[in-house]
Amino acid sequence: MMQQTADFGRPLLLSASQDLRGFLGLHLGRALLFVITCTSVLAVFCIFLFVGLEAVPFLAKFSLVEFFTGTGWYPEAEDPEFGALALIAGSVYVTLVAMLFAVPVGVLAAVFLSDIVSLRIRTIVKPAIEILAAIPSVAYGFFAVLVLAPWLQRKLGFATGTNALNASLVLSVMALPTIISVAEDSISAVGRDLREGSYSLGATRFETICRVVIPAAHSGIIAAIVLGMMRAIGETMVVWMASGNASQIPSPWWDLSQSVRTMTATIAGDMGETARGSDHYRALFALGLLLLVFIFLLNAGSEYFLARAKKALGKS
Amino acid sequence: MELTSRHISDKAFGLLAGFSAIVLVLVLGVILVPMILEGTGAVIFRGTVEFRAMQLNEFGHGDASKVQAEIAEVRPLRERLYDIIDTFKRGVDIDALQERAGQIHRQFGAELRYKDTPRERYTSLRSISRRIRDKLRAAFAGTDKEQMAQQIDSVLQYRGDARFEGTIATGYFELAAEFQESLQHIDLRRRRRYKEGLDEVEQIIRELFGPRPDGPPPALAMYRYGATRWDQAQKSLQRLLWTEKWVQLEQSRPLQKTLIERKKEFMGTQLEPLFGFVEENLAQMLRPKWTFYWRYFVDDSTPGHYFGGVGPEILGTIVLTVLSMVFVIPLGVISSAFLVEFASDNFVIRIIRMCINTLAGVPSIVFGLFGLAFFILFLIPAFGGPSKPCILAGAMTLAVLTLPVMIRASEEAIRTVPRAYKEGSLALGASRFWTFVAVTLPAALPGILTGVILSLSRVAGETAPILFTAGIAVGPLPKSVFDTTRTLSYGSWDMAVGDRLSAMVPHNQYGMVVTLVFLVLCLNGLAIVLRSRVFRKLKGQ
Repeated sequence: MMQQTADFGRPLLLSASQDLRGFLGLHLGRALLFVITCTSVLAVFCIFLFVGLEAVPFLAKFSLVEFFTGTGWYPEAEDPEFGALALIAGSVYVTLVAMLFAVPVGVLAAVFLSDIVSLRIRTIVKPAIEILAAIPSVAYGFFAVLVLAPWLQRKLGFATGTNALNASLVLSVMALPTIISVAEDSISAVGRDLREGSYSLGATRFETICRVVIPAAHSGIIAAIVLGMMRAIGETMVVWMASGNASQIPSPWWDLSQSVRTMTATIAGDMGETARGSDHYRALFALGLLLLVFIFLLNAGSEYFLARAKKALGKS
Repeated sequence: MELTSRHISDKAFGLLAGFSAIVLVLVLGVILVPMILEGTGAVIFRGTVEFRAMQLNEFGHGDASKVQAEIAEVRPLRERLYDIIDTFKRGVDIDALQERAGQIHRQFGAELRYKDTPRERYTSLRSISRRIRDKLRAAFAGTDKEQMAQQIDSVLQYRGDARFEGTIATGYFELAAEFQESLQHIDLRRRRRYKEGLDEVEQIIRELFGPRPDGPPPALAMYRYGATRWDQAQKSLQRLLWTEKWVQLEQSRPLQKTLIERKKEFMGTQLEPLFGFVEENLAQMLRPKWTFYWRYFVDDSTPGHYFGGVGPEILGTIVLTVLSMVFVIPLGVISSAFLVEFASDNFVIRIIRMCINTLAGVPSIVFGLFGLAFFILFLIPAFGGPSKPCILAGAMTLAVLTLPVMIRASEEAIRTVPRAYKEGSLALGASRFWTFVAVTLPAALPGILTGVILSLSRVAGETAPILFTAGIAVGPLPKSVFDTTRTLSYGSWDMAVGDRLSAMVPHNQYGMVVTLVFLVLCLNGLAIVLRSRVFRKLKGQ
């Protein structure tokens, strides 16, 4: 029963001012949105800038060579030493050992989820991974200190339960969700056609996965590992609580029962005891800057591999 | 042959992969289950009468008259306990006995002076009193029972003396009589050993039943009450009944830790019945009752989180996360809207995306450094605020940290809105901006909400960024956003490594961290449910 009719009395043409307003509205609006979106860029810029600014006086005052090659970290001594090698080595050491545990388990679990298992088991394992990812790092650290450390000390007879092994184990668990989800994405992205081609040639599932699927998805898997490393190297609470915080390079190098100290833990642990503007304070910012550079490089690596994975799969 | 080996490798591979998935689930169980079991103990446990007294006095909870009645009911049994200890102590604690004798002597002198006793009488009484005191002291410190008995007897000869009638000096005779009685039970050679053992016993008794009701209340809240929990009480009871000793069981073997009944140490003394008495009557003296301590999530705590709950921590966590959401939601939603709806894939946008990815990878501790250098040292002072850690700085730091999470989640949410919605709106003549505001945004809202919840859970669990920007372990409730606050995450860290007191109350340690984990997991669960519902709805239409 609509009595109204559309009003066609007015021409559909806009006047010049209306036109201008519309144009300005659209473009100004877009510009505003763009500016707001640039907050992320600004944030990254500010992080580099402000962490860098606090670090520059230190880098100017002390030699970089000593910073990267010295192993003595005695910032509060009479004649302070800022040799970060042991800390860098600690970070890298713990991260690599964590990857040693996490990569096989993570990649296998990703293969398991994408290629082997039925949907029903998937619905059990998937939430488990999500929960693992959601648990706060301080809770992992809590577990490392109060549960894992006494257990290691009791069962394996270590001098101390808070050591490189403890930190690495917990870090590997924390890196697992990242590794699994990224690796699984790239493995599932390998098309059915490749798999079916392989099966039709008589290959078993093992052969298909190892010879066809994983090579095809290798860029994505590498990206997953790099992202896992990023998570592990930047992690603070767990390594601070579980690594024992002894600034030393383990010797012999394979001795996991020794305590180490990482860059993140040093920043977290020392910051409370420094005076603002002191050399020690600035040295911590220099460590932060170094961490940022590490992360930036790893991130660039992961982006490169992810882009490659995308391209490779786009072709096939 | 080849075929079988291939077959075997295939099966082995399948098993290995399955095993890795099982490891994953197992790890989750190993981490969560003990934590949750232990942490539940902070809320559900068997609380004793000491717990109810603590709740009443420290937090003002509970029915005062009922608690008082309960305390009165358990008192007679406890009095008997203290009697046993006191009787035993009389024969053992030489220093205390000598001190008491000296005290009587001094007070007696003061009394005489107060009464204005004539000088000669005063001098003679004082000298008798001194003689009695010295005899008693000698008797207390003696090593020969007969000699000691004689000394006591000679003191007791004065008992009938009219000059001492009704004065403080009668205390001498009570002391002497008491000692005479305990002298019969005591092995003099072991008095020193007894004294040490008794100190330990008294310590444990205090742990069980709190300080003596007649003494002054201790300054620290943790010493004001006995075992508030039945499990604690049982542990203390074990320590009371058994001692650990390193004993050489066989020759040329290392010493071994063995449990020895503490009763044996006090065999034949007046203290011996104490152990049986406590063991039998512990439940009557403490009255354990199953308690659901829901106020754990509301109550403040005493220093070291010895008693009480995590109320301020929960409050601080909520304030901090909500405030950071206030900053991050507009930024995140607008950014993602721009990226999805208005941006073409050019160089600038690629840089923006790269920055978002970098931001997501920045270590949380570096966010802490950034928050310190930027917000606390630069931005807040620039606006005239105080240059010190505060909630505002922490919330802004956390907002930057969670910005990538927010952007990614809302991007996904906006992307899942079906094209048909937008096209319908555009076809009706709405501008792209209005289409987004009136059509896309409402449809994407539940998805965006999922992102908000995920960001919330991430922010609630972060510790490193607030180490230097907002967090403290102990302190008053914040009054404004320019104060520091306690949070669950900071508290969990502090209780795990920083605080020696809290190591004595593991249930509270675990309670704190489980509260945090529970909060985070609930938020995540909510997000998962919401996401699946949204997904179904958008697919169904």
